[in-house]
Amino acid sequence: MPRNAATREIEHTGDVGIEVLAATREELFAEAIVALGRIMYETDNIRDRECRKLTVFADDDADLMHDALSAALNLFLIDAFLWRDANVIAISGGIEAELIGEPFDRSRHRLHEELKAVTYHRLAVERTPSGWRAVVIFDA
Amino acid sequence: MELKQVNEFLWEIPRIGGMRVPGRIYASRRIIDDIRDDPCLEQVANVAHLPGIAGYSLAMPDIHWGYGFPIGGVAATDAEEGVISPGGVGYDINCGVRLLRTNLPYSTVADRADALADALFATIPAGVGSEGAIPTLDLSEMRRLVRDGADWALRQGYATRADIDHTEENGRLAMANPDAVSAEAYARGRRQLGTLGSGNHFLELGRVDQIFLPAEAERLGLGHDAVTVIIHSGSRGLGHQTCDDYLRTIGKAMERYAIKLPDRQLACAPILSPEGQAYLAAMASAANFAWCNRQMMTHLTRRVFMETLGISERDLGMTLVYDVCHNIAKFEDHVVAGRRRRLCVHRKGATRAFAPGHPALPDAVRAIGQPVLIPGDMGRYSYVLIGAEGAMRETFGSTCHGAGRVMSRARAKKEARGRDLIAELRAAGVTIRYQGRATVAEEMPAAYKDVADVVAVMEGAGVSRRVARLKPFAVIKG
Repeated sequence: MPRNAATREIEHTGDVGIEVLAATREELFAEAIVALGRIMYETDNIRDRECRKLTVFADDDADLMHDALSAALNLFLIDAFLWRDANVIAISGGIEAELIGEPFDRSRHRLHEELKAVTYHRLAVERTPSGWRAVVIFDA
Repeated sequence: MELKQVNEFLWEIPRIGGMRVPGRIYASRRIIDDIRDDPCLEQVANVAHLPGIAGYSLAMPDIHWGYGFPIGGVAATDAEEGVISPGGVGYDINCGVRLLRTNLPYSTVADRADALADALFATIPAGVGSEGAIPTLDLSEMRRLVRDGADWALRQGYATRADIDHTEENGRLAMANPDAVSAEAYARGRRQLGTLGSGNHFLELGRVDQIFLPAEAERLGLGHDAVTVIIHSGSRGLGHQTCDDYLRTIGKAMERYAIKLPDRQLACAPILSPEGQAYLAAMASAANFAWCNRQMMTHLTRRVFMETLGISERDLGMTLVYDVCHNIAKFEDHVVAGRRRRLCVHRKGATRAFAPGHPALPDAVRAIGQPVLIPGDMGRYSYVLIGAEGAMRETFGSTCHGAGRVMSRARAKKEARGRDLIAELRAAGVTIRYQGRATVAEEMPAAYKDVADVVAVMEGAGVSRRVARLKPFAVIKG
């Protein structure tokens, strides 16, 4: 689904960091989930064959971002599921995310690198005058 | 950040604000000039806020910006009054390095480097989606593995008694409790035994190209030009998930213990609290998994060498020189301000380096000091060190763990654009096999300090001594 959002990689000596900008809070979470996938593998060859749902609750948006990305990371690391897109809706106390993609196929998919975890270091989710912004550092 | 020079190799951040102790950084003038404006110094000061921290918040010369703790950080907290911080260990619990030596002179394998690299790359899986050479374990076997550590590998026929004897803590932390590890952590780890992982993890074939201390090198079985193997990996997803689980638990418990810290990633709990004890049991379980992981890769490496070169185990003579952890918290006795104290020593990107005679060392090396393995970047060289008296006096028995990054991963990828790093390494005599091209770019030699400068600082400070230098000829990366 087209999103009004963008991600850029930010400088961090030891690890991998991203800054995500989006027009809405839901788009911010969806873009961050897709950006996580893009760091770990090539998304061009992923077909829209399956949809996996993640439901995450947390006390605040920073924790919600941490927990949503951690759940997505485990979808890749435990179930070997690769997504190329995500849709997010807000629910009471959390979010529901649909990740669209397919299981890893060694013959077609190209992996970049495996991330270890979503850190709390400099983790931020905030409203800006033009929308929403998040900063996330991953342990690589 | 104010920095005072203590001596040629030591710099101090004076105690200010909520710091409970000063910070101290081991570095040459050149290294300190390079990091003077880096956030890693602020992280040294932040660590000094931990309740119960003893002596100094320390950093080794391979210091660089981490999350919470700096990479290259050492913090010792009082075993009764102090705290344990999962961030002070890191996500990759018991990430470590082991060095194997062989009877083979480099000249006998030089023309088989590509064949060995191909076979190792095919046999030792990197991670996601890999078909492991080691069968996937069921939960009950995983629980036995995290409880018993390297002893599990010995029982299964994947290790020798000598391997266990030459592994820090004999490859097992007794405080492990399988019940402290979450279902998600087991799920992440159960297919990953004997896998390398990506990022800065690697398996490297090298040869001894320089010997600094001949008697010590001989004691370690390191003859000039002998083929060596370095394995750098950790506890894989089981450890990463364990750290994440307990950062969450402990982060929430901090308010109850009235602990306030400048960085959320430093989350900690009193060692004697239920949360602290549960983390220590889980951390030890993950550490035990990591030792088994490196042991399984050792087993596979021996098999690959014998099959590829068509030689016997005896002719190969691939024995473990030593296995060190560089992301761990351990209970040790150290003298602080003239008083012997029981401390919980957090080493986050730092290596234990006990001096000669220490009772924790195996008989074979006790007289010379603990072997310490310091990988450099994949194009230059790595070092074998031994611990010295200065480590016991000044650094809670610790030294550096690697070269230390100077370039962010993002910048390294930019620098690599338009360059053929594989060909550059080949021209330097190094053949490489890899899963992700981005990893090769991020890990390019220029992304790191020259490890020779780092180990020279630790030798100058009297903390560790150089025994030998190893030059790589084949690298396997995830």
